[in-house]
Amino acid sequence: MSRPFSWKKSIFLVGLAIFLLWYPKLADPYFLHLTVAAFLAMILASSWDILARTGQVSVGQAGLFGIGAYTAALLYKWIHLSPVLGMFSGGIVSVFVAAFLGTLTLRLRGIYFSITTIAFAEALSVIWLMTPDFTGGAMGLSTPPLFGGNREQAYYLILALLALVILVVWLIQTTRLNFAFTAIRENEEVANVMGINPTRYKVLAFMISAFFTGFAGGFYSHYNTYIIPYEVFGLGISIACLVMPIFGGLYTIAGPIIGTIVIKAIEEYLRVTVSYGHQIAYGLILVGVVLFMPEGLVGLWKKTIMRK
Amino acid sequence: MDWASFFQSFANGLLIAGLYAAVTLGLTLVLGVMGIVNFAHGEMVMLGAYNTFWLFTLVGLDPLLSIAASGLLLFFIGLLMYRFTIRPILNDPPLNQLLLTLGISIFLQNLAMILWKTDSRSVITPYSGMSLHLGMVHVGLTRLLTFLIAVGLTIILILFLYKVRSGRAMRAVSENNTASWLIGINVQKTYLLAFGVATGLAGASGALVSTVMYTYPMVGFKLGLKAFGILVLGGLGNIPGALFGSLILGLTESFVGTYVPEGSGWAEGISFILIMIILIIKPTGLVGTRRE
Repeated sequence: MSRPFSWKKSIFLVGLAIFLLWYPKLADPYFLHLTVAAFLAMILASSWDILARTGQVSVGQAGLFGIGAYTAALLYKWIHLSPVLGMFSGGIVSVFVAAFLGTLTLRLRGIYFSITTIAFAEALSVIWLMTPDFTGGAMGLSTPPLFGGNREQAYYLILALLALVILVVWLIQTTRLNFAFTAIRENEEVANVMGINPTRYKVLAFMISAFFTGFAGGFYSHYNTYIIPYEVFGLGISIACLVMPIFGGLYTIAGPIIGTIVIKAIEEYLRVTVSYGHQIAYGLILVGVVLFMPEGLVGLWKKTIMRK
Repeated sequence: MDWASFFQSFANGLLIAGLYAAVTLGLTLVLGVMGIVNFAHGEMVMLGAYNTFWLFTLVGLDPLLSIAASGLLLFFIGLLMYRFTIRPILNDPPLNQLLLTLGISIFLQNLAMILWKTDSRSVITPYSGMSLHLGMVHVGLTRLLTFLIAVGLTIILILFLYKVRSGRAMRAVSENNTASWLIGINVQKTYLLAFGVATGLAGASGALVSTVMYTYPMVGFKLGLKAFGILVLGGLGNIPGALFGSLILGLTESFVGTYVPEGSGWAEGISFILIMIILIIKPTGLVGTRRE
């Protein structure tokens, strides 16, 4: 699947890289904060998309996010582990949980997988609320500001993680993994007959997705300085993880990124207008995409290009 | 063993099981007839509860009379929802149906938050505090009435499905929709009616919910998840299974609440654990056949 080298594309990518590295000097603190939040969401969206490539539609990514968030916060509380190592540990713990959960849910297809993932996130939320001695319970946990509150450094950290996710998605898309994932998504039995081991790839996708989701959870915990179970294990995060890539366009590199930018813009506008319920846009978008634009924004754009 | 507290927990579990059954029936009906898991079913319950709350607060309408009002309102909302959102995607893959109904669920939850804030509201009637003594057991009057009405709704639904022509058509379509079409049943109309009846039942059970628990924007989502737990417990898409599942969940929650330290908090997690364990052990639900 190697493509011819394209000057236009390379110049665009180099320009984008320079801009992103320069960005903290240009943006005011409010925009810098918005950008960090958007990058975090892009990481969640892209890692959800990795899992969805194997046909596993998760509605419980908040479970993995919350595990990452709490791992980082608890390790800080117990042994004052440095935040970046804490986030990394969050990713690793999420990977183990995903390997376990992924193996258990292997036989579940379609909506039954989705319902099980919701139950997983909700069950974790109950466990966390009920074991306050260990988890801090409903009161949550707090950590000191990341890098002493230096947003520029936080920006570079999340930018690096985002670049890593995109690199991984690109590798998946351009290697044999793409064929394996797509074959499993289209028809697991046929994939099995063709010599692709669905078990291995489905669990692998779950683990990759979990690492980034857990790491992002750890980042959120330190960046936000405060986490509560209702939020980090909440439905809101699971929904955000799936609406952004579906809106942008599934199984593409650009889809989750574009979807996140548009949704974050809408959400930020609503956040200032209404105090509760700004996720109303997620619901409307989900309904609209299923009914009117099944291939998302990327598909819409491709169609317009084709027409010309 | 303290028999009084045992019987008390048993009675509480039984009463709440009636409410769970009322919530689950509509979900079962839509799954059985159309093969769709309606994620927004819980939100229909939530709207029914809010409708009852506002009719009670603004007009003073008794919540038990609101059952009909909420049922009718949600019946029509269901017809609209079916016509404009479900019908276009009937032949889509199940995942699209999941995403669509999940989208409607998220939309309605957030709409409720915008319109009515996140406050927990309750309907307190003159008879809310009354209770009956049956032997060793205290039973709240409202809870008992809700239970009896829930049982009544179940009986009405079963009679409808077995005695009324359009109800029998629903059973026929759930068995085989092509064959039903061949013998002259209007499948589209049957789907429409089944969906409306299901959301109407959700609205009616929402009225019951408002009298025995708090009404807040996420109440439907929580109950909806419990209903899924009941579905996988009792078998997907059959009514006796849903009743059996409700009974098991209601009793388990109640006994855990009584006998486990801090049990009422843990009881909230039972349905999630049930969903995970049962689906993982037997991916088609405890009883019943595979529906793709």
